[in-house]
Formats: sequence, structure tokens, C-alpha cells
Amino acid sequence: MPENPILCIDKLQKTYGDVPILKDIAISMDPGEFLVLVGPSGCGKSTLLNCISGLTGISSGSITIAGRDRTHAEPADRDIAMVFQSYALFPNMSVERNIGFGLEVRKVPEREKKSKVADVAKLLKIEHLLQRKPAELSGGQRQRVAMGRALVRDPELFLFDEPLSNLDAKLRVSMRTEIKRIHQTTGASFVYVTHDQIEAMTLATRIVVMKDGVIQQIGTPNEIYNRPVNAFVADFMGAPSMNLMKGTVTRQADGIRLEIPAPQGSTIELTDYDTAPDRLPAGPAEVLIGLRPEAMTDQARADGRSVQVADCVLDVVEPAGADTYAVVHLGGTEAIARLSADTPVAAGQVTPIAFDLSKISYFDVSSGTRL
Amino acid sequence: MLGRRQKQEKWMLLAPAMFVLALITMVPLANTLWLSFTDTRITAIAAPVHFIGLENYIYALTDPDFQAALYRTLYFTIVSVGLEGVLGIAVAVLLNQPFRGRLVLRALIILPWAVPTIVNAVAWRLIYQPDYGALNSLLYQLGLISDYRSWIGDPSTAMNMVILADVWKNFPLVAYVALAALQTVPDDLLKAAAIEGASPWKRFRSITLPWIAGPLLVVMVLRTIEAFRVFDIIYVMTSGGPADSTKTASFFIYQEYFNYLRSGSGASYAVLVAGISAVLILVYYSAAKRQAAGGTA
Amino acid sequence: MRRSLLQSVLVYLCALMLAVFTAGPLLWLAVMSVSMPTDLTEVPLRWIPSDLDFSRYGALLDVADGSGRHFLSALRNSILTAGGATAIALLVAIPAAYSFSRRKASMVLLFAFLATIMMPPITYILPLYSAFSSLGLLNKTVTLVIVYAAMLLPFAIWLMKANIDVLPVEVEQAALMEGASTAFTLRKVVLPLALPAIAATAMLSFLVAWDEFFYALIFTNDLSAKTLPVAIADFAAGRVTDYGVIASVGVMATLPPAILAIAFQKFIVSGLVAGSVKG
Repeated sequence: MPENPILCIDKLQKTYGDVPILKDIAISMDPGEFLVLVGPSGCGKSTLLNCISGLTGISSGSITIAGRDRTHAEPADRDIAMVFQSYALFPNMSVERNIGFGLEVRKVPEREKKSKVADVAKLLKIEHLLQRKPAELSGGQRQRVAMGRALVRDPELFLFDEPLSNLDAKLRVSMRTEIKRIHQTTGASFVYVTHDQIEAMTLATRIVVMKDGVIQQIGTPNEIYNRPVNAFVADFMGAPSMNLMKGTVTRQADGIRLEIPAPQGSTIELTDYDTAPDRLPAGPAEVLIGLRPEAMTDQARADGRSVQVADCVLDVVEPAGADTYAVVHLGGTEAIARLSADTPVAAGQVTPIAFDLSKISYFDVSSGTRL
Repeated sequence: MLGRRQKQEKWMLLAPAMFVLALITMVPLANTLWLSFTDTRITAIAAPVHFIGLENYIYALTDPDFQAALYRTLYFTIVSVGLEGVLGIAVAVLLNQPFRGRLVLRALIILPWAVPTIVNAVAWRLIYQPDYGALNSLLYQLGLISDYRSWIGDPSTAMNMVILADVWKNFPLVAYVALAALQTVPDDLLKAAAIEGASPWKRFRSITLPWIAGPLLVVMVLRTIEAFRVFDIIYVMTSGGPADSTKTASFFIYQEYFNYLRSGSGASYAVLVAGISAVLILVYYSAAKRQAAGGTA
Repeated sequence: MRRSLLQSVLVYLCALMLAVFTAGPLLWLAVMSVSMPTDLTEVPLRWIPSDLDFSRYGALLDVADGSGRHFLSALRNSILTAGGATAIALLVAIPAAYSFSRRKASMVLLFAFLATIMMPPITYILPLYSAFSSLGLLNKTVTLVIVYAAMLLPFAIWLMKANIDVLPVEVEQAALMEGASTAFTLRKVVLPLALPAIAATAMLSFLVAWDEFFYALIFTNDLSAKTLPVAIADFAAGRVTDYGVIASVGVMATLPPAILAIAFQKFIVSGLVAGSVKG
């Protein structure tokens, strides 16, 4: 638990009628963090954001913002600002009035308002657009205005509801950078909702992965990526996602023996020397073996310890520019190996693949939890 | 989920509307209900009022004049709305065909709707005029009649003449609703049926009509509710005559109130008419609700 | 699908009949209003006027003339009544519509509102008459304004609600987040967005009020408050020997709504269709 969390959510429950939407949510966030809520649609991440904003009431639990209990406070009294997915700009007002709206409501003197709006416009590089109406702006410009409206009041906490999902792919990448830059220059605290795991990985200082109204894992992008707590997180985060192959593990004196079934009754046999053997059942036991595509390559050289080579049949080959992805039938799934684009390969070919077992994860077959 | 403030606001925002409607409709309705159980009369000096229970109702329900007025109202309503329905659908089908001048005609048929009810009544009264009216002259010149007739002075034709005037004013609404519905009939469905060999009439019966039946039903029930309270056009064209042949329920009650000054008895008639209207309104809501829920028939 | 020649002829024939049926009575009203009085009493009629006579319109617009005084004061009363009622109805309807649309006020209540105006006015007339009479409010424009406002209110609420429903709710949430009160949001954010809907609602309301006859008949009795429909009924019931005068009053009373209806046809038709079909 951090000393002075900017946002602290405790035992939050939210139900619509009898249907639970959010179950026992607990989050503690430090000032200056960039917290990203990510998960598939319907996981409750947007509802959670609306609970934080106060646009939606909660069924039980508490929400504390900057040390003050805001569980039942009106949205306007929470000292927060929000950037909406649709930008939600006031169509009848100029950019300048849009940005200054919150100050206008609070009856901030005209001069102070003007200079604050000008500062924010400069930060967002939209000084030249101040007199325009939202309809005369491009998607990216509207996005900036929406952020400007949030930034100008300098609140304790910023909420972003899928702010980039209405932009085209190219603009999305540049706005992503822009948002990260603003976070770094202002040092403000951001809570950011997205369904796009790449956005989550690139922006977050910490990620909250959600599914079915339950938090699956909270951690840094690195932790989430390399040490997913369950098969769902492993599968959801990273593109292409982690390969989850069914295999048999047997504890041995010097390591863990892996047997992964391959097509035509053959088996790939590897030995993991890095994982502490006592974390797994003595075996032989069936588990889900998780390896990311970049841990299955033709690049690394076998060193007899972490990296071991086995011959695999390439089922499908998908060139993707810098890399070539090859589908390999392993452990009852279509595992993806990441090959160098320089190596000419063809479907049906047998190629030696180097497995980097230092990056391996094990999950329980039935519950999916990390072993 | 609404916050406490929003819940308060819900009622604050509604308050003015509820106040106005309570004042102008609910209070008078309750008052009419009370009057209907009394022998109140409209008098210059206050007269004692007696509670007489169901006496007014017993009289009203056995009053042949009121029954006749209800029957006339029913006749007016059914024939008017029926004709508006048939004419409305026919006009909509026509205006859905491609032809030159279609848009002009679509715009033109809003005019009867825009003509004030009273002007409509006056205009048709002039047209029906027995001595110099246009209808007489037109039919005479076409050789369809040999003598001028008193169209609304003759009890046998008066009601139908009033109905014609009412239909002329109100068919556009039905036509517009039918047209809007027609424009949503999927072309592919009709083409498929045509390829299967269905005749145009068969296509209309089994595809088009069921498709537009929902909205059509709703607007016709709405028109029924309106037609049932008919007063204005009767007042101007015939004043309920000749020989009471056009005296509808609203006009009957109007006379009971303001000619015979029997407010207690008039109120009991009014409550009965309101009861019938309430049933029609409930029918309207269930039809509209089914329509909103996406049902087509 | 292609039409045969016969079908085409049939379509144009029907279109012609419809045009004659629709425009005929109105055209004849207009012709009557400018015909020589003697043309209108010929048997059979002289359809094309022997000479054009615009004097009736001149008389109607002349305050010094008897019928002009009647007409002009009725016109004034109608404009004040319909305009005032429309303004009040909208003022009251917009917050109520917002409550139904955004504060989850029960639809049953809205249906109850609508049901009250679907009732025959005869149900309400006597208690209203007695109350206005004892308050000394009979024969006053303000009385009609209040009654008409109530009559227009449910439909105005209904139309405005349907229009507010489709406005982006996030824009209002943004205003709420920025600390704006509901009144502020309504005034500065919702109203500007709903302006076209407000205009359409105002227009339809005005036309309905302009058309109302029954309440005006009962509640007014002289020049100071009588509206056009009542004045026209008077003209028609009076011992006027020149039918052209009645016709000219009819034409004058029809012009404002007819012009509005033609000019804003799309607006009005979509409002009418939506208003009568969707519950």
C-alpha cells in the first residue's frame, strides 16, 4: 500500500438489479501514476471508470480521491476531469469556450481564464484553433481539445475513457505518444480505459487487467507481460498472444522435464533448468506451458541450458515485415513461432526452432492459474 | 442509477408541467365526476345542490336521445376513420409510385391538414349551400342531378356530407403515415415475390399491407379518438341538425350544459363519454407500444 | 419494375383526381373570395369570375370597417393566444422532457399526460367555465393562453423528449463533470443542440393552438378575446348575404398555417408521423 494514494478503491461492488457488474474491486494508485484499465469488452472497465467519475453510483465499497472520501460525492465535487470516447465537445461553443467551460462554470475571472486556456492550448499545440467550432476540427484536433478541457482545471485525477478508439490507426499511434508526453510533462495522475492491450503496454506505469467484473492482475507492463498470473492475462496481453500448449511435466533432479505432443504422435522433449522444480507437481502432470512467440525462434543459438532446439513442422507461414510468424501445431494449439524474415521458410517445411525456456510460464490446466 | 440530487431534480423539472396539467385537466375531471352525482344547474343565483347518487347515470343510460347521439358519434367515427384509412392507403400507394409531379403532390396534400378545422367547415358549408353552392352546380352541370338539393339540410344526407368534409381534412395524416411506412417496405421482398409469380394485388395483400399495418393501426386509433370527440365541424356546418341528424355526443352534452343549463346531468353524460374515450386511449397505447416494440401487425 | 402504358395512364389519372380533390375546395374558396357578388348567386354557377373583386380583402384589413374590425381583432387575439400558449408550453415542456429523457421519470406518467389531452374537452369544460367565471377570467386572452398551454404541453413534452433522447448524453456528462448545474447544462448545452427540435415543436404547437375552437367558443364572447375560428364561425352564422366575404375570411385564416406547412413540409410531416405513430 502506498503512503498517500491519489486514488484508493476498496471492496467496490456494482450490480444492476441482480446482475453483478463489478466484484470486489480494490485498487490503490500513487500520485503521478499512469494506470491503465484493460480488458475485453464487457469486462466492466468502463463501468469502473464511471464509478470513479461519479457518473454511476456504486452498490457498496468506497472510493477515496486524494485522501478524501468521495464515495457518494457528485462528479463535480471529486476534483477530477474526464476525457470521453466521443470527445463530448460542446458543438455550439468555440474551442476556447470548450476548454474554458469548467472555469466559466466556476466563475473564474476572465483574464485568468484566458491565460490558463492559452497555456493549455500551447501545451497541446492548438493555439491556432481557439476560435473554431468543434465541427471544423479533425478527429485528432477534437481529441486535443477534449484533453485541453480536462487539463485546464488542473484536477487531482484525470480519467480517460477509450480516448483513441475513434481515431484511425495512424493517428492513434501519434496521439498515444502525445498523451504519454503530456503525462510526463504534467506529472499528473491518469486513469485510462482501453480495450487495446498495445495501448495499455505502451502507456501504463501500471496495468489493471479485468475480466467479467473481476480484477485479474495489477502490475507493471513488464510484470504483466512476463509473469501473467493466469492463462487469461497471458492470452489477452501481447500480440500475437502467448502460446499456451498442453504438455506433461515431470520433476527431475536437475530440472523439469517437458513433453509437448506434436503432430503424428511425435513429442517434443525439453528440460527446464531455470524454474525451481518444487513450484510444480512432482508429476508426471499435465499443465499449460506458456511461451511467447519471441521465445520460439530460429534466431537464438542452443546453449544446452535455457535455449534448446527441436525440429517442428511449420503449418502456416505468415510474413509480417520484420518477422515471419509460423504456425506450429504443438500441445493441442496453434502455437506461433517468431522467425526472422531473412530465413526463407515455406509451409510444410521442418525447421529447427529454438525454445527459450528462461521465459517460460506454467498454468494449471483447469483453473488457468499460474503455477 | 440516479444520485440523490438527480432524483430531486427529476421531480423539480416535472413540477411545472404537473401543476399546469393538474389545474387544467385533473381538477376539472374530478369536479365533473362529482357534478355527475348531483342535480347541479347553471343558475344566476346559487341554488342548493343535492347529492343524488346514480340517478343521473340511470337516466343517462336509459335516455334514447343520448343513445341516439352516441350511435351517431359511432357512425361518424367509424365511417370517417374507415374512409380516411382507405383513402390514406390509396393515396400513399399512389404517391409511392414514380411519376412526374409526385413531390409536388406530396407537398400539396398537406394543405387540407393545414386548413383550420373551422375554415374547413365553413368552406364545405358554402360548397353544400342549397341555392348557390358549388356541389349543386357541379353535379347539375355534369347532368348527375336535375334539381339543386339541400345537402346538409336533409336529415338523410347531412351526416354523410359532414363526414366527407371531415375526411377531406384528415386523410393527409393517414396518408403520410402510410407513405412513411411504405417507404420502409424492403424492395427485395417485393421483387422476390414478383419472381415467385405473385400478382401485384397478392404482393400488396401479403407483403405490403402486413408491413404497414402496425403504424397504420396506431394512427387510425389516434384518429378514432379524435373523431369520437367531434364538435367543431358539427357546430359550424349543421349545429346538430337537421332534426338532430348530426347531433353527436359532444354536441349533445354541450347543449345539455349551455342550452338547458343542467350541469349535473350533463356531467354524467360527459363522464360516460370520457369512459369510452379512456378505453380508446388504452387501445391506442397498447397499439403504439406494440408498434414501438417492433411488431408489424 | 416497368409499367405498361395503361398502368402509367392510370397512375397519372389517379394523381390528377387526387390533385383536384385536394386543391379543388381550396381553390374554389379563393375564387369565391375574389368573385363579383353577383357571380356567386348565378344558377348554375359562374366558375370563372366575370371580374376580379379584391374589395373584401381591403375591407377585412381596414380597422374602420365593421368586418375589418372584427377580423383584425380576432387575428390579433389568435396571434397572442397561440403565440403565448406556445411559449409557455415550451417553457414548461423542455424541463419536463429533460426529466423524462435524462432523469428516468416514469413513462407511465408521460402516457398519463398524453391521455389527459386525448380526452374530449367536453369532460373538462364545465368546471373550467365555472372556475374562470367566478374568478372573472372569462373573455380574456390570458385564460385561453393558460388552457391552450395545458393542451399543447403533453405533445410538446413528447416531441421534445424524443429529440433529447437522441442527443449525445456524453456531452451533458462532460458538462456535469466540469461542474455545471443542471440548469446551466440545460441552458448552455442542451438548448442550443435542441434548437431545431424546439423550432419544430413550436411550429406544430402554434398550428394546433391556431386551430382550436371549442374552448375559445365557450370562454370568449366579444372582440377583446375572440379568436379567428370563433370569429369565422360568427361570420358564417351571421346574416351575411355575400358568401365571398366568408370565403375571404377563410382564406386569410388559412394563409398563415398553409404557408408554414408548405415551407416546413418535411419538418412537419416527420413530426406528425412520429407524433402519431410512436407511443
